[in-house]
Amino acid sequence: MSIALAERRSPAIDIHADGDSLALAGVLDVRTLPEVERAIGQRTKGGKSQPIDLANLSALDTPGALFLCGLRKQGVELTGVRSEHSALLELICSLDLRPLPSVPRVPRWRAVIIEIGKGGDEALKDARDIITFIGRTASATLEALIRPRGLQLASISRQVAETGIDALPIVGLMAIMISVVIAYQSVAQLRLYGAESLTINLVAISMLREMGVLITAIMVAGRSGSAFTAEIGVMKAREEIDALNVMGLDPMRLLVVPRLIGLVITLPLLTFYADIVGLFGGAMAVQALLHVAPMQFLEHVRGAVDTRDLLVGLVKAPVFACFIAIIGCMHGLRVRGSAASVGRETTRAVVKAIFLVIVLDALFSVLFEQVGW
Amino acid sequence: MVSRAPAQPILSARGIVNRFGRHEVHDRIDLDVLPGEILGIVGGSGSGKSVLLKTLTGLHRPVRGEVRVDGTPVDRIDAAGKAALFGVLFQQGALFSSLSVAQNVMLPMRHHTRLPVDMQERLAAMKIELAGLPADSGIQFPHQLSGGMVKRAAFARALALDPRILFLDEPTSDLDSVTASGIDALIEQLNRSLGITVVVVTHDLTTLFTICRRVAVLVDRKIVVDRIDRLLKSRHPWIRDFLHGPRGEGAKLGALSAKEQSHGIR
Repeated sequence: MSIALAERRSPAIDIHADGDSLALAGVLDVRTLPEVERAIGQRTKGGKSQPIDLANLSALDTPGALFLCGLRKQGVELTGVRSEHSALLELICSLDLRPLPSVPRVPRWRAVIIEIGKGGDEALKDARDIITFIGRTASATLEALIRPRGLQLASISRQVAETGIDALPIVGLMAIMISVVIAYQSVAQLRLYGAESLTINLVAISMLREMGVLITAIMVAGRSGSAFTAEIGVMKAREEIDALNVMGLDPMRLLVVPRLIGLVITLPLLTFYADIVGLFGGAMAVQALLHVAPMQFLEHVRGAVDTRDLLVGLVKAPVFACFIAIIGCMHGLRVRGSAASVGRETTRAVVKAIFLVIVLDALFSVLFEQVGW
Repeated sequence: MVSRAPAQPILSARGIVNRFGRHEVHDRIDLDVLPGEILGIVGGSGSGKSVLLKTLTGLHRPVRGEVRVDGTPVDRIDAAGKAALFGVLFQQGALFSSLSVAQNVMLPMRHHTRLPVDMQERLAAMKIELAGLPADSGIQFPHQLSGGMVKRAAFARALALDPRILFLDEPTSDLDSVTASGIDALIEQLNRSLGITVVVVTHDLTTLFTICRRVAVLVDRKIVVDRIDRLLKSRHPWIRDFLHGPRGEGAKLGALSAKEQSHGIR
């Protein structure tokens, strides 16, 4: 029985001229078609159409039938069509065959201009959306805080657990790695001036003021911002948001506010944790590099930084948290229809959240410099 | 229907056992699909219809048992051979959303044949026409199509390489009755004219009564295969409820009157 399969692998077609007519024998299918098309094309080039005999055709598929129908329309007579092929041939010949409509081509330079225009329009719409959404979130949050009965405490605590507690291992690991990197990089440079001991200052200040909060915020944007978009997006795609609206429940209050409040609670705590773990990592690196004992390191850190450095880092965290949550939820609610849209919006949300975190961090740096902190 | 040499099964499953954890779905199932027939597969929710379909097409490896196509185990057929053998219409269409309908149809051709592009385009236009879609839907994208059109486009893609067996997973679900009847007619047409063997998983009793010659019923982890008129006399409670429930009676009436009408026209 495997003959049939073998036959499919090496189909054969035989075209031979028999006096005034052509005869096809064997398999006329998608594999032998190019050969047949070539051969018959050459023969009919002269303009006179020879009848084609199909009595010895053992197999015919739709591409073959399409080809034969094309010949028939040119006036070629098909003879000896087997009964098992006639139904197929009739069906294909009866189709009203038209070529695929062509997609209008846009010249490259115009496509570029169109893209730029679309991008600009998109950016404008995005900015407007963000501002509107910030306003809506703010009003919903204030309303929830004024009337705490509407506050979803269970939901908030779940958010704190998911965005905070579950993130502890990865944030801690990142903080250690970053402080080790800073320690190794600065030791190599400071050694040139014999000021290796300043490595400790550098590690402590950069961890507390910048790196701790930045690393945590980027990690949380990637972890939780994307989760917000995906969760809300799936709900949107499956009409769950519409169901909430129909039942007179506000998605902003039920879905957005708990996530926002949860993240605003979590991110400063995570940042503080990252600072501590980062200093711990710095202590290990400095011990390996400069043979400074951890207790000495701590002593040195106390002299190098003050509470203000810690606060500069921590103050940024709630602001970052607001933006990460707002961007994540906004893109979730922007999902339209299909599952593909969820993926697209999630990617956009993460990129935008990380971008915004870094922009805000730069603005904060300028601000603190002006204030003199 | 095209009459062929002795009814050697084109596809045969022997002793199929499927199990998910402790939950046994199929217990030593045998099933033969005869060339040129339209076989219906029915069963209650969770009776493993989709799993059986996946097992038959080699997408799912059963715990025990074997599926053979023309005597060759299905897992030993190479990709190109499988593409030429099987066409599958997935329940949601599974059209590639980034490709237009015509590109969807041309994708298997591009990878499994050496046809020139203009020939592929002509063939794609033909398959789209064959599936009953207007010619200009070829450049449309799946998200622009209605439910019935998605099914037809998926049909066109399943037919791209002229498969010998067409597997249909709920071809008429989510469709209004007019569109569903159109799909039934299309299945029958393809079966009659192209001689394609069709295996159709369905809940739609009208489909079952109008186009299926034999029906496989999945009940109690086993399978009962018989002609529909003989299944109507079955004493198994589920089969009886399924075929003789209010929906079953309605569908039977509808199918009968439809047949009478079509005979009248002829």
